[in-house]
Amino acid sequence: MKDVIPIQTNNTETIAVSKNSKNIYQQAIDTFSNFCRARSLFVLHYCTGCGAIELPPAMTSRFDMERLGIQPMVTPRQADILLITGYVSIKTLKRVILTYEQMQGPKYVIGICSCTVNGGMYWQSYATAKVLSEYLPVDMYIAGCMPRPEAVLTGLQQLMKKIEKGEANSWENYFKRYDYYLGNQQHLFGDTWHTPTDILEEARHYHLYGAESTGNNTARLIKYTVEHDLTKLDAPLREKDSMTKRGKK
Amino acid sequence: MRAENYQAVTHPESHEFELNFGPNHPGIEGNYALKVRVNGDKIVAAKADGGYLHRGFEKLMEGRLWIQNIALVPRICVPDPVPMEMCYALGVEDLCQFEVPERANWLRVLQLELSRIAAHLFTFGGHAATVGMYSNMFWGIADRDLILDMFEQMTGGRVYHMYTIPGGVRRDVGVEQLDKISDLLDYLEKRLSDYDNLFFNNKIFIQRARDTGILTPKQALSWGVTGPNLRACGLAFDVRRDDAYLCYDQIDFDIATETAGDALARNLVRRKELAQSIYIVRQVIDYLKKDKSTHIRCQIPNPLAWKVPAGETYTRVESSKGELSFYIVSNGGEKPYRVHVRGPSSMHAVQVLEKLVTGGRLEDVAQIMFSLDACPPEVDR
Repeated sequence: MKDVIPIQTNNTETIAVSKNSKNIYQQAIDTFSNFCRARSLFVLHYCTGCGAIELPPAMTSRFDMERLGIQPMVTPRQADILLITGYVSIKTLKRVILTYEQMQGPKYVIGICSCTVNGGMYWQSYATAKVLSEYLPVDMYIAGCMPRPEAVLTGLQQLMKKIEKGEANSWENYFKRYDYYLGNQQHLFGDTWHTPTDILEEARHYHLYGAESTGNNTARLIKYTVEHDLTKLDAPLREKDSMTKRGKK
Repeated sequence: MRAENYQAVTHPESHEFELNFGPNHPGIEGNYALKVRVNGDKIVAAKADGGYLHRGFEKLMEGRLWIQNIALVPRICVPDPVPMEMCYALGVEDLCQFEVPERANWLRVLQLELSRIAAHLFTFGGHAATVGMYSNMFWGIADRDLILDMFEQMTGGRVYHMYTIPGGVRRDVGVEQLDKISDLLDYLEKRLSDYDNLFFNNKIFIQRARDTGILTPKQALSWGVTGPNLRACGLAFDVRRDDAYLCYDQIDFDIATETAGDALARNLVRRKELAQSIYIVRQVIDYLKKDKSTHIRCQIPNPLAWKVPAGETYTRVESSKGELSFYIVSNGGEKPYRVHVRGPSSMHAVQVLEKLVTGGRLEDVAQIMFSLDACPPEVDR
């Protein structure tokens, strides 16, 4: 496919923004918003594998996720948590990455079932992605084949505690270390892999653009987008938009 | 209006547009997608888009020992895993010429029928949710959980049990456990009238489901439809009776049929099967209580050096989705030479769903998919 990519070890510890850079009001706002955020979580309803069968009991009357303030949500843009329930085939992983990039930060990824940790039952399968954290920043794994609803709820409660303390920041890693994630994605999907979202632009917007955001892999992506002139794709839409505005005048 | 102010409205050549229905969609059953071409809300064409759950089972099974595959096969269909291990075990027993004890066969029927009840409750719930009736979904999932508790007490696993092995079953079931199952069946029988009131006799459901996704007997036969979907067309075919395996020939049960062939009929068949399954489990409990033998499996060779004699076999069982078959070829080695799985859902969710959805309306897509009870992991395997 292409040259061997140096697979770096995935350092899940986030580079915490030093608190000294924020003044006391900002810190108070952060604490308050983390408190609120942990008590109102929306889980994206995307069933990728077997583990999805244990979510209906966890969500409905017997185990009742809603008493913790967690509800299923059907659209990625309004969701906070992306639950990857089980093995992720390569075809699904493309959709998962597209979905993840549509979600608005702060966003959290939970890998349920052993298959997301190391391939699990399908470690020798040609069709599945083995380690999820190579492609997306994962906040928490819930191991088991499959984990019981109690385990899912315990995992979610631990995530709530993490959010409240302000420690669940691995979504920032996707911007800070985009080159690493993109490299692994390219390794799987080929050099032409690209998504509609401009992650580097978003990284600058969130002030998360760092030294590891760019590298050989992002250079390959930028070269591809410039060569194929992907920026032109939405040009007709823009023209149409300006025409309608002119018509109104 | 002055002529110079008038601008003729120009429509595009066609109002049709393509809509991706899934894989991340609340109305789709699992990780599966349909590409539908719609004109307004009328569906002009539909194309099934599977492969999101493909793991390559048939290849994976060739790389594992015969005993390791017992843990792998139930993963083929997640909501109803017991028939998978059952069908695999029947195939290996056929190749090895095992004499399975009588008690083991009855214990297996107990598992199969409880699994069928659980799968049907789950399907009702899903179908009810697609027509906007969420209470029934909550009830169905809660009642299914009680059966999962029984599974856990009997086998140690909630969803995947690996209880049936070639040559017999792993554990015996005691009298106390049978009493608990008996109590659960009493409870479920009481609940059936509640389900009738809430769902099956509900005007909302009947009006939505009647004449939706009609399947004629001729179409059903030519498209490879099996199971409750076939019986809803009026054709009383059931592997349990017509090609009896285990001890189904000693059990008294009716084959539920309907004649309309629409989404309503398919659900009513499942509703009748639920009552039949409860009736079957009661007979099994009676037998197991009377039977005093403790012999639950025959002698099997050392599992780590287990060589199955060369040969090929085709076994089939009736799962809650339809006819499930395994074609197993052995060359006398420690691993299967070739395994082919014939899952019922791969017919229902691809060719049948595409054709039933076409010409219908967008809001009925989810309903038709749930009424066919297609299981995406089994489609892709």
